[in-house]
Amino acid sequence: MKTDSAPQGATSYYEARKKVYPREIKGRFQRLRTLAVFALLGLYYVLPWVKWGDRQALLFDLPARKFYIFNLTFWPQDFYLLAGLLIISAVSLFFVTALAGRLWCGYACPQTVWTEVFLWMEHWTEGDRRQRMKLDKAPWGRDKILRKTSKQFLWITFSIWTGFTFVGFFTPITELGARLMTLELGPWETFWVIFYSFATYGNAGYMREQVCKYMCPYARFQSAMFDRDTLVISYDTQRGETRGSRKRGTDHKAKGLGDCIDCTLCVQVCPTGIDIRDGLQIDCIACAACIDACDEVMDKVGYPRGLVRYTTEHALQNTQTRVLRPRVLIYASLLLALLVGFGYAISSRTPLLLDIIRDRNALYRMTNHGLIENVYTLKVMNMDTRAHRYSLEVSGLAGIHLDLDDKDILVESGEVATLAARVRVPENGMTGSGATITLTLQALDQADLKIVEPARFIGPAPGR
Amino acid sequence: MGQTPSNDNPELEPNGKPWSQRAQDIAAVAWPSFLTGSVATMLFFAFIDPLVLQDATFPGWDLSRMTGYALGFFFFWGIAASSSALSIFLTRSGTPVTRD
Repeated sequence: MKTDSAPQGATSYYEARKKVYPREIKGRFQRLRTLAVFALLGLYYVLPWVKWGDRQALLFDLPARKFYIFNLTFWPQDFYLLAGLLIISAVSLFFVTALAGRLWCGYACPQTVWTEVFLWMEHWTEGDRRQRMKLDKAPWGRDKILRKTSKQFLWITFSIWTGFTFVGFFTPITELGARLMTLELGPWETFWVIFYSFATYGNAGYMREQVCKYMCPYARFQSAMFDRDTLVISYDTQRGETRGSRKRGTDHKAKGLGDCIDCTLCVQVCPTGIDIRDGLQIDCIACAACIDACDEVMDKVGYPRGLVRYTTEHALQNTQTRVLRPRVLIYASLLLALLVGFGYAISSRTPLLLDIIRDRNALYRMTNHGLIENVYTLKVMNMDTRAHRYSLEVSGLAGIHLDLDDKDILVESGEVATLAARVRVPENGMTGSGATITLTLQALDQADLKIVEPARFIGPAPGR
Repeated sequence: MGQTPSNDNPELEPNGKPWSQRAQDIAAVAWPSFLTGSVATMLFFAFIDPLVLQDATFPGWDLSRMTGYALGFFFFWGIAASSSALSIFLTRSGTPVTRD
């Protein structure tokens, strides 16, 4: 996807893309973004190393098909919880977007966050915007080779560390690290480390905010959540126009000029290459770089800050901004309901599962004693964090009796026990050819840890 | 796109230039199919254990769960990508809608 290296003039279908040289900027919002980078990437790089007891606190153990999140263990059967979590994330995003616009894009999206770090590395090795432009135009020499190699070294090292950490969420990271040191990574571990490293390198090093412009679905549909009371970054046209340069100390109002001195700094700092003064645009990722740039200039020329600022369309039109409006209230109540439901589902979740599989070879069997026998294979899954002993009982038909090979059902934490269960019913205990029986699995050491599952019991057709 | 007055000083130029149509098409095929392929993989393997699936399909092969997940992911990504690519091809090559 690197289109900037396509040869010009040759029969290339790729238009030579002009490189993006965002200018560095300091200011309150950039400090906030830096803070977000440290917080989010800190979580990403540190979390896999955190221990909980004798295992990794956060581990999505795909080979074992179990997810560990602190003291909880999730099984494939808990998938509905993961689905719920994804829905909650989506509604949160809608809620935040309706209220405060594209905060996600500017401060929290992995694309922006990793791009930011890659820009820092570029800045350390190649210098500021002017120096980078000059360096790219300069012929290859010692300085250029040195700077470019250092940049690539930092980028690649950081990418590989990122890919390694990613795999560390799915394979115990300390063992993974040990295997990496001795070059004994499994083929798929190696593949995913390289895959994720390459994606990080390409996305954050080269594609950057082009991803937001051309690839991100959220960027396209977020405008559906917007209204005139949503927080956006905007240029105050009334105050700024007519823009134009002026000599220091001149009374610009007398000359018919607005507060915008047309220094184009807001354009130079923009990572997506737009001019915020053209109005609200879909390309704007709300990174607030233009606010910081403009505030700095306003300070210098002695005008009040906020020519470009966080505001709403209503505020710009000098009307009241309403924070609590139907859109926001609907998203908020939906989110609240989902969170309550999710919390309830987690807290009331029984860490025990019973799968009942009927013997497929024979529907039923008549024993020597004139009893109808059905055979089931039972799978007892202990999803709790400690071992349990269970008792199994069967009910639903007169004279029903359960026969197990081993009455002592002990299942270790995170294990599955397979039992063969023979259920017998006297012939006069059944009225039809089939009935529903109930199996109750009860932990012996914990009264509220039990599960009740129905099963089908088949007998001979009546009248025989 | 924001068009600032062109200036002789390259420093005053805005950042970047739009991607070519072809590059945009590739991005529009590769990325959404990656996302939907990931979701499909998650849904599918939440309910189906790759080892059980292997027993039912190619019991003679020796595949690990990780291989199963990876193959599944690339399968779903590939299927989604081919659908996206066909959609782009159809919308690009059809008769344009003309309105008076």
